[in-house]
Amino acid sequence: MKVPDVFAYSFSAIKLRKLRAALTTLGVVIGIAAIVALLSITQGLQATITGQLERGLAADTLVVIPGSSALGGGAGEGGGFGGGGIGGGGSTRAPLYINYTSQINALSPDIVTSLAVIQKSGYIQNGSGITRQVTSIVGVDFAQFANAYPTTFVAASGSIPTNPADNDIVVGARVSDPRLNGTLFVQAGQDVTLIWTNNTVIPFVNETYIAHISAVLDRIGGFGLGGPSDTGVYMPLSQAEKFFETDEADMIIVKLKSSDLDVVNRTSTAITNYFGNQVSVISATAVQSLLSTIFSTVSLFLGGIAAISLLVAGIGIMNIMIVSLIERTREIGILKALGMKSRTVLYIFLTESIIIGLMGAIIGIASGWVLANVVALFLGRGGIIGSALTITPILTPDVMLGALVFGVGISVIFALYPAWRASKLKPVEALRYE
Amino acid sequence: MALVVDAVDLKKTYMLGKIPVEALRGVNLRVESGDFLSVLGPSGSGKSTLLNLIGCLDKPTEGKLLIDGVDVSTLNDNQLAYLRQRIGFVFQFFNLIPRFTARDNVELSMSIVGKSKSERRKRAEELLEIVGLKDRMDHKPAELSGGQQQRVAIARALANDPRFLLMDEPTGNIDSKTAKEIISLIKNLNEKGVTIIMVTHDQHLAREAKRTVQMFDGVISSDVVN
Repeated sequence: MKVPDVFAYSFSAIKLRKLRAALTTLGVVIGIAAIVALLSITQGLQATITGQLERGLAADTLVVIPGSSALGGGAGEGGGFGGGGIGGGGSTRAPLYINYTSQINALSPDIVTSLAVIQKSGYIQNGSGITRQVTSIVGVDFAQFANAYPTTFVAASGSIPTNPADNDIVVGARVSDPRLNGTLFVQAGQDVTLIWTNNTVIPFVNETYIAHISAVLDRIGGFGLGGPSDTGVYMPLSQAEKFFETDEADMIIVKLKSSDLDVVNRTSTAITNYFGNQVSVISATAVQSLLSTIFSTVSLFLGGIAAISLLVAGIGIMNIMIVSLIERTREIGILKALGMKSRTVLYIFLTESIIIGLMGAIIGIASGWVLANVVALFLGRGGIIGSALTITPILTPDVMLGALVFGVGISVIFALYPAWRASKLKPVEALRYE
Repeated sequence: MALVVDAVDLKKTYMLGKIPVEALRGVNLRVESGDFLSVLGPSGSGKSTLLNLIGCLDKPTEGKLLIDGVDVSTLNDNQLAYLRQRIGFVFQFFNLIPRFTARDNVELSMSIVGKSKSERRKRAEELLEIVGLKDRMDHKPAELSGGQQQRVAIARALANDPRFLLMDEPTGNIDSKTAKEIISLIKNLNEKGVTIIMVTHDQHLAREAKRTVQMFDGVISSDVVN
């Protein structure tokens, strides 16, 4: 029997039981749709986070923070986001002093420069004095910071002073426009009050001072590790030392001559060793490799759960194929009496499952893609993750092809047994079957 | 004349549970090309078993069976299937595929053999014309009478130019008036050179054949030319 004739015959058998075939196909559709939706959302999320990370954490910079652990060791190595944390203040750790920058600069010829950052949580209060919002108050050298983050430490309005006055500050886009809807909380040229609660003395003291906004940054999106952020308030480092009454840096940003992986790793190790493993060095590459590890694990896990639903669909296919085999025993007997080979009977049954699997996979991929976009739309509206993060689902050809192969493969595997049984039916007994 | 069936001391034993049942106990039968043979016998005489063996649907337990010169006991399932393509079956209950039209049913046996679509269509239409169903080609079995269904089955059996037609009670499920029409069609085919082996328990029908083989208790009790 010719291949098109086998297909036509199988198709006529499926058409006869439309509802049953549709329900079986639906099982495959759900399984494939779940896999495609989960994977394309995860991949979209990964792309978004990686993209935003790249903006916030330049590839040729390292961030040194006090405390061992975190992403110690540099790129390529595992580690975790645990312990060390970022910019928090723990008392048991060896402090990182602002003047360490000169020692770090001398460590390696790969280092262009390093700059200390003081970062505390505080409030910013606008001119009206009624509303205030939480912010992270960051002390940095404006010129050096702009040099380290040339694409993100950029003014959208006003201008970033190279030689700032003590009360000059620069604010992130979402400090100025918290809801990103044009309703400005503060803007360039205004005076605002910064408030920081000093909890190193008892009773706590609210330190305040009036600052002048000289610039509002361009919107960066997402989050930055060490680099400029939409929710940050930046003041000159010297002013921060006075305001926070400290000479400890919460992080030191190291700018390298290149973003070469070797340079990144070598310098990371040199810095970690110099401080006797009492500091952690975070690099963009390390964070990215950690993230991609996390994401591939998450993808695998979610994909695995979705695959279970496909397995259930496979059992559904096996079930209807066995029912169909029993119903069509006599028909198989007729086919064999007419001279059909056992192998052709096997092909006819397998082709039925291929048709179901193929239709299920194609519809499943399409509906998974729609599902992913609908979910992304809801998440993007500020549902779970917050409006800072918009996910654009990504459907790669790999995932599409994989889903197709998987859907058809499962269908065929589960049809093997019924098809084999059909092919092994004895013509005499099959013809006698009522 | 070529010998299409040559059975020598053919035996077939079934296992009915654990009890062996001897359905055929040494059958000798020769059928030549162009013959019209009826096999007559009460139920349990082994005529259906003989039919299944000649139709290559089953293999003998003992003895030799040559179909169209080929010893079936040496063949595997695939080769048996191939041999069946050269045998035309007509069943008591027609055994048409219900979802196919008359034409598609006739085409099916040719598509199994691997003939092209255009060749199949042409031949199916010719055959349906021969059996007198030209105007009912696009009807499904449920829309046809018993007699018409059996005509479709005969057309299907003829599609691959078989060495012989094997008929199992061809009029057993048809009213007597229609049965007469079917018989004259069968006789007509035989006159055109088609070899026919017909199993029946109907004496009148058996007399229409050129030769009648009477079976009893697993052996041939008489073999006479009418």
